Amino acid sequence: MSFEMWAEKYRPKTLDDMVDQKEIVERLKSFVKSRNVPHCIFAGPPGTGKTTAALCLARDLYSSAYREHILELNASDARGIDVVRETVKTFARVRSIGEVRFKIMILDEADNMTSAAQQALRRTMERYTETCRFILIANYSGKIIEPIQSRCAPFRFTYLPRAEHDSHLKQIAEKENVKLLDDGLDAVFEVCSGDLRKAINTLQAAASLNKPVDAKVVYSIAGRAHPADVRELINIAMNGNFTEARKKLRGMIQKYGVAGSDIIRQIHTELFKTDVPEPWKIRLADVIGEIDYRLVEGADEEVQLSALLARLVETSHELRRAE
Amino acid sequence: MYAAWTFKHKPKSISEVVGNREAIQKFVSWVKSWEKGVPKKRAAFLYGPPGIGKTVTVEALANDYKMELVEKNASDYRTEDAVKRFAGLASQYSSLFGGKRLILLDELGGLTGTADRGGVRATIDIVKTAQCPIVLIANNAYDPRFSTLRNYCLLIEFKKPSAGDVMRHLKRICPREGIEAEENALKFIARRSEGDVRSAVNDLQALAQGKERLTYEDVSWLGYRDRKEVIFTVLRMILYGKTCEGAKRAVDMADVDVNMLFEWIYENAPAHLSDPHDLARAMDALSLADVYRGRVRDTQNWSLIRYVIDFMTAGVAMARVNTKASGWIPFRFPQRIRMLSRSKAERAMQLKIGYKIKRRCHISAVRASKEILPYLRIIFKNSVDVAAGLSKWLDLDTEMVEYLAGNKKQASAVIKELAS
Repeated sequence: MSFEMWAEKYRPKTLDDMVDQKEIVERLKSFVKSRNVPHCIFAGPPGTGKTTAALCLARDLYSSAYREHILELNASDARGIDVVRETVKTFARVRSIGEVRFKIMILDEADNMTSAAQQALRRTMERYTETCRFILIANYSGKIIEPIQSRCAPFRFTYLPRAEHDSHLKQIAEKENVKLLDDGLDAVFEVCSGDLRKAINTLQAAASLNKPVDAKVVYSIAGRAHPADVRELINIAMNGNFTEARKKLRGMIQKYGVAGSDIIRQIHTELFKTDVPEPWKIRLADVIGEIDYRLVEGADEEVQLSALLARLVETSHELRRAE
Repeated sequence: MYAAWTFKHKPKSISEVVGNREAIQKFVSWVKSWEKGVPKKRAAFLYGPPGIGKTVTVEALANDYKMELVEKNASDYRTEDAVKRFAGLASQYSSLFGGKRLILLDELGGLTGTADRGGVRATIDIVKTAQCPIVLIANNAYDPRFSTLRNYCLLIEFKKPSAGDVMRHLKRICPREGIEAEENALKFIARRSEGDVRSAVNDLQALAQGKERLTYEDVSWLGYRDRKEVIFTVLRMILYGKTCEGAKRAVDMADVDVNMLFEWIYENAPAHLSDPHDLARAMDALSLADVYRGRVRDTQNWSLIRYVIDFMTAGVAMARVNTKASGWIPFRFPQRIRMLSRSKAERAMQLKIGYKIKRRCHISAVRASKEILPYLRIIFKNSVDVAAGLSKWLDLDTEMVEYLAGNKKQASAVIKELAS
């Protein structure tokens, strides 16, 4: 028996396999047909098929020889200007032999490139257009500099609609002999909000427990898998337990390397979704804003965020007293 | 609130008392000799340095032989009335309910000055006529004040238990508190105590309470004995300070630098400020102290450090408005300092696994280590065969498998499955 991560095992291989993002897939198919691909930007939230679409396009275009014609580079791991100068240029300038006269460079997580590297990339893209086409993949196209954007055909990927999300997971569950219950499916959607990779990973992890996948199982998996999820952090603080909250925060920062600025941004977002009485939300926004500012000025993220947690604990205490 | 471990784990039977076998034997046979009538020496005088088990021995013996223990501290029997009451108690071996009685006069050394001279004399009177065993305890039996008293007593010297003996006691406590302690961590505490079992247990509690593991790393910072006391005194001055000036003065006493002292305060303030408003104020003060630390860093203007000190000491001291001091709350070594080196290594491991995932999953190593690795961890914990299959698919090495499995047992099961 062979084992893989299911997200890879069930990743579509060709554009025909891709049942989602229909309009985008149609346009990509027309590129294959005409044997011509412009520079592209695939932008959209994680787990919506951007990388898959790029890989499928390449496979359809070059069929079995696709590996020699593409280079997949991940900007998060190598985002400096040197990488662009060396790796990208070396790959881009050598003409491909075969029916399709250009190669494809897939630059994943391109919004993580430094702006200097993006400037260098811009020239490379111009110079080697004949021999190489670029597919830039990003969560936010806004983080890609304007000159590059204007040279690319933009594609906006959106979260999978609920029905498609469900049918994907059900199919996988069936093939893998996993009993996926309806409330489990609901929970996966709630936790992953349409991010298919996350959903499939959650399903696979849940399946390893070797019991029917219901909502409870899914939530426990999600809780363990997402240290950066601040909802639990807020809950602990709002239950009045500062020490536990600080411990959780510490784990997020030290063990998982989550940035303080990310945490506070998420706390700010989540705050407005909590059931804290409305007038308190705006008071807390002031506290969060103040700490956000101190975060920049101060020396220690944990200390600053702890001060915020202590204020949440204080607030929860006052709310309980008011009840 | 926490119970002091010295109390909670006090030996219940003399077999549990560490060290001083000879002295204990001597004491036991003297107590037993009362069965055959009043012996020549009606009192036993146990003496020796503090914290080595004198009182504990008496209590444990009373427990073993089902004796009624009447315990008095020096301060209790100064007045003539008390002495008379006591004399009454001492006049009978059997108590009202038939059990044997044992009288303990502890902390004899506490009788000082002219006011207490009567105390020693009264004690002699009791001993002379006692109809039941009387035990006296003091650090120094050869204090001139006890010269007459000594003549009526069987002198039993208690010596400092060896480090090995102290360790045996610590080792008994650890499993009861659910702590897995490294051998050399306990050895370190035991050695440092210099035979003072009580202080060793206190140290253990301060260092290990609430933990599952105690490592050498955890205890080695203690250094020599005074040091801990200094930092604890300093923390007390800050967390319970009444004036700004007093709290600020604590900094001069501390033998750690300002940043380390900050860590100590930041770690311990929450446990000592139970009122949420007080805590929020204290954490806000620490947040402001940290802002000034940032300003020192940014401007390289070291004179700004005085504001760091203001907020972290006086600011925290003034935060206490509603919280009353209550119970015994241990001071803990800053946990995140301990965590730091470990988490660095851990993140390096996560990234290494991230690169393995990247080769297979079209995702950056950085994101893989954050977004996919957590799921692998769950799978590795739950399913040996899937874990083995994925290890092969991802080409993970033994170390990585161990990391993902989380414990040795699961890891070796996965590795075994891989080999088959």
